[in-house]
Amino acid sequence: MESNQDSNYRLSYSPHIHTGTKTSEVMGGVALALIPAVAAGIYYFRLDAVYLLLTTVLTSLLSEALMLKILGKEVDLSDKSALVTGLLIGLVLPPEIPLYAAGLGSVFAIVIGKQLFGGLGKNIFNPALIGRAFLVAAYPVLMTTWTKPVGFDAVTSATPLAAARFDDVLTPLSRLFLGNISGSLGETSALALLLGGLYMLVKGYMDWRIPCAAFASLLGLSAIIWGIDPGSYSPPVFHLLAGGFLIGAIFMATDPTTSPVTKSGRWIFGAGVGIITVVIRAWGGYPEGVMFSILLMNAFRPLIDRFTVPAPFGGDRP
Amino acid sequence: MQDFVRGLWKENPVFVQVLGMCPTLAVTTSLINGISMGLATTFVLVASGLVISSVRKLLPDQVRIASFMIIISSFVTVVKLLFEAHIPEISSQLGPYLPLIVTNCIILGRQEAFASKQPVGRSLLDALGMGIGFALALVVLGGVRELLYQGTIGGFQVFGTWYKSMVIMVMPAGAFISLSLLVALFQRISGRK
Amino acid sequence: MKKIVRMVLVLTLLGLISGLALSLVSNYADPIIEENEKEATREAIYYVLKSADSYETEEVDGKVIYRALDSSGELVGYAFTASGGGYQGTIRLMVGVGPEVWKVKGIQILESSETPGLGGKIRGESFKSQFRDLVARGEIGLVKSGEPERGEIKAITGATISSKAVVKIINTELSRVRSILSTGGE
Repeated sequence: MESNQDSNYRLSYSPHIHTGTKTSEVMGGVALALIPAVAAGIYYFRLDAVYLLLTTVLTSLLSEALMLKILGKEVDLSDKSALVTGLLIGLVLPPEIPLYAAGLGSVFAIVIGKQLFGGLGKNIFNPALIGRAFLVAAYPVLMTTWTKPVGFDAVTSATPLAAARFDDVLTPLSRLFLGNISGSLGETSALALLLGGLYMLVKGYMDWRIPCAAFASLLGLSAIIWGIDPGSYSPPVFHLLAGGFLIGAIFMATDPTTSPVTKSGRWIFGAGVGIITVVIRAWGGYPEGVMFSILLMNAFRPLIDRFTVPAPFGGDRP
Repeated sequence: MQDFVRGLWKENPVFVQVLGMCPTLAVTTSLINGISMGLATTFVLVASGLVISSVRKLLPDQVRIASFMIIISSFVTVVKLLFEAHIPEISSQLGPYLPLIVTNCIILGRQEAFASKQPVGRSLLDALGMGIGFALALVVLGGVRELLYQGTIGGFQVFGTWYKSMVIMVMPAGAFISLSLLVALFQRISGRK
Repeated sequence: MKKIVRMVLVLTLLGLISGLALSLVSNYADPIIEENEKEATREAIYYVLKSADSYETEEVDGKVIYRALDSSGELVGYAFTASGGGYQGTIRLMVGVGPEVWKVKGIQILESSETPGLGGKIRGESFKSQFRDLVARGEIGLVKSGEPERGEIKAITGATISSKAVVKIINTELSRVRSILSTGGE
């Protein structure tokens, strides 16, 4: 059997050994891991960030409680999953978005993306991304209006990805790393996201395979096309740091409910996320493709699980 | 009387039978589109129901579907020409979905299931009930989508100017979302769940 | 045998009745529909060429061109339709140009299914008014950000593809009309 050094929490096919870790602990850990990103968001966008995060978190919790009540289930928010969803939605929205739109996205995420599928552990798609996808379709203008961080000139400006795609301007990597760029609240600072990811890794709240596979496939594919034609495509490290890739790969693709449970399945899943992201960024109609790539791979999850079920000891593959 | 009421509520073609989805989803971007489509379909349903039930004994069994189709498509063509002549703007809004009434399964379905077997009076009531039930569903859906899209109903401002257009509601995804929520609401009200 | 005869008879009869009825309705409706279409064309021409008072329709090399005259009978310009692919479906435009064909006088959207709220804004006055008296000696240019210069228009924010499509449709048809008019004896 596998050693337990790298992780003390894992989902897998049977046989199972319960380690005593509960959902609420994992979700609480994810929320803790998001603190650097939240802090970076508040540092760069000040009060806008505070209001936005408060709105998404409160509406998420409220709609979760209401839905549980309507559906006749026990109203219990202690698993903290609604808190994490609320935080994640806030982090993937433009900081200047009107609060009612942010609230609507959170309601949609919880009610349609999660509870109508059966609640915690039964949803097919990542609820936070469902909420964001709904907002992109509902308010395309609001969702593509970006402000630069406070302290510089607070005017609308293109995101690094849009600038690279439409105006051929590459944002310096150091600024991408620290986060002094326009973009969604939580995607600005690569450093903060990596810190959170590291924490989750050390504590074993996520499987390292998915982000690793996603990083590798994203870097690999973008290196190939950049090598062929550096004039029209962006360099691989730029792809890694710009846009929502880090927050997506670390915090959303690793959602235990919507990612495969088998080890090989997780490699496939992560690789798919990276490849589709590059394909959409390089040749698609949108400058950013992380949201669609994760949602697409979410849809493939049951299929991936089915084809990667390990054979029972001494038996045939099911 | 029961023939009439059935189509309105208990066997509502859209909310209960989930028939005729193509026009239901495609043209209900505004209240006025919903009304026009609903009325056009009701007209075709009633007219062809009347004709078919009055000639039902003359139609040989083997070619009954072919006969239904000739009758239905004639009425659809009449509706299309009249719409184009008198309300060209609505006709261009409805686009290909106006002639496509001919493929609406509610219409052929009612002829096969009801009008071809029942006397004229009952067939008329049945067609009216089904048609109005369909029209009502389209009106509700069109009204909801128009309201959520731009805050108006039938062109009248309901929400203030603060309301930001919710683009998704006039796109196909909005049609599916609002239809499914309405169906859920309908089932809840009629106590089926 | 009797069955087949009856089947054929019934279907033929139905077809005859339906055909008769339809021809009656279409006799009644067709002139009105045609009048509606003419009315729409007339409105679009008077919209793109503000000073036009009447127009003549002529066909040169398979292209229908409307010659617009003002109240004193002077030529004020030409109008023609242009169409091409947009972001979704086809965009059909009426384009009005001055008598020397180097100035676009105005455009009107006859048909488009661009996304409402984004590409749909090409129907809006603020986009269309950019084409009023637009100098276009060569091709019309498009800028995404910043101020448009002479002979350029500004794309709609968030709807670059639709804006680009409109400009491309106009440029293509404009050069075709130019070559037709320069060889067409005018």
